[in-house]
Amino acid sequence: MDTLALTAEALREPWRLWTGHLVHFGWEHALANAVALAVPWILAAPRNRRRLALAMLVLPPLVSLLLLPSLGGGEYRGASGLACALWALAGLRLAGQQGSTPVGLLMLGGLGLKLGAEAAFGGSFLLHPDGWQTLTAAHRWGVLLGLASALPPWPRPHPA
Amino acid sequence: MSRRPFLAAALALLAFLGCNMPETHVRRSSLMDYLYPKEKAAPMPNPAGARLKLPLKLGVAFVPGGTASWRVQNLMAPGQEKQLLDVVKRSFQDRPWISEIKLVPGAYLRPGGGFENMDQVARMYGVDVMALVSVDQVQNTDPRWYSFTYLSIVGAYVLPGDANDTNTLIDAAVYDVASHTFLLRAPGQSQVKGSSTWAYREKQLREHSAKGLELAMTDLAKNLDAEMGAFNAEVARGERKDVDVVDRQGVSLRQSGGRNFGGSFGWIEALGALALLGLALRFRRG
Repeated sequence: MDTLALTAEALREPWRLWTGHLVHFGWEHALANAVALAVPWILAAPRNRRRLALAMLVLPPLVSLLLLPSLGGGEYRGASGLACALWALAGLRLAGQQGSTPVGLLMLGGLGLKLGAEAAFGGSFLLHPDGWQTLTAAHRWGVLLGLASALPPWPRPHPA
Repeated sequence: MSRRPFLAAALALLAFLGCNMPETHVRRSSLMDYLYPKEKAAPMPNPAGARLKLPLKLGVAFVPGGTASWRVQNLMAPGQEKQLLDVVKRSFQDRPWISEIKLVPGAYLRPGGGFENMDQVARMYGVDVMALVSVDQVQNTDPRWYSFTYLSIVGAYVLPGDANDTNTLIDAAVYDVASHTFLLRAPGQSQVKGSSTWAYREKQLREHSAKGLELAMTDLAKNLDAEMGAFNAEVARGERKDVDVVDRQGVSLRQSGGRNFGGSFGWIEALGALALLGLALRFRRG
């Protein structure tokens, strides 16, 4: 069995919690996810990139742990859960900034459309010939965690 | 008293009976005769079982019939064997679990060659699994009521007094070469019916034989694909203790239960993301 994919073994081999998001089922799978990951990095304001970098470090194991019950004896590969988290994070931050609100809303709208389509048609509306199926829970958890990490860590005091 | 009229009558009766007797042609090749020619009991496969690593290299061959290969027996026209095996090849060439399909000429398989011969051929072609195709074709010719007109000679060339049925059953058994484990089997069948005059009976039977084999082979390719899916599901459920399938990533199908997951953005979504990026950058510049 591959030593990097996310499987139930991750509880004994914790690196899988991160590396499962790096390995893919082929170059096409990897390229599509890389494009999705690059977009929030390019659009995010420079001051938000630190938050994105922190999210890329902290969110993968959280998404992985949330996915473990769905895997059974199978394995998970792919960065789209993380990509969804970054889209939600960058989208929410941009929506709250003056001048970038339309871009942020567009990102959140696109994300909502993707989750809506997956909820309506299941993960099977895009076929994968290599015999694996899309785990839509990865996208849902990614969005939730991304939205949560976009919120300020504590309430800012209002200026007197 | 002259015997000539009696002789002529006897000859006419003989000719009449010869023209009007039902006839049966059988063409048969047996997998059992090929793989287990002398064994009273089938040899035991490797107890370790088969471990198939995807993608597979598949060899396909017709097993020899009787004492000679199909082509040597002149049961298939030259070139027909490849044409038939191509039907299977075309059906499977886009399957992700097969990397290569090799068509093995039947002449390379010795009658009664057994697993030893199968191993030799598999090594020669570098294949992991062999699909051994056996054929059972029965052709029946039944005279119609007006076939007595054949006696007029003209009738034998003009009136289609023969009803010709060709029933073909093709069976493909797939074996793992390394362990000699039987993996799966699939059937293919066809029925071709027609009528002919006495003079063109043999020609039509030959044509129907070729057509029947082609139709049965198409049916076989379809069934083989379905059987392969069922086989994978059985392995994933752990019902085949003697077989394991390892996918391209080295994941055992038995362990994963056939369920591998990916998080993915589809190409449509990735293009949508790029369009959004372009739009946003343009908006910013503006």
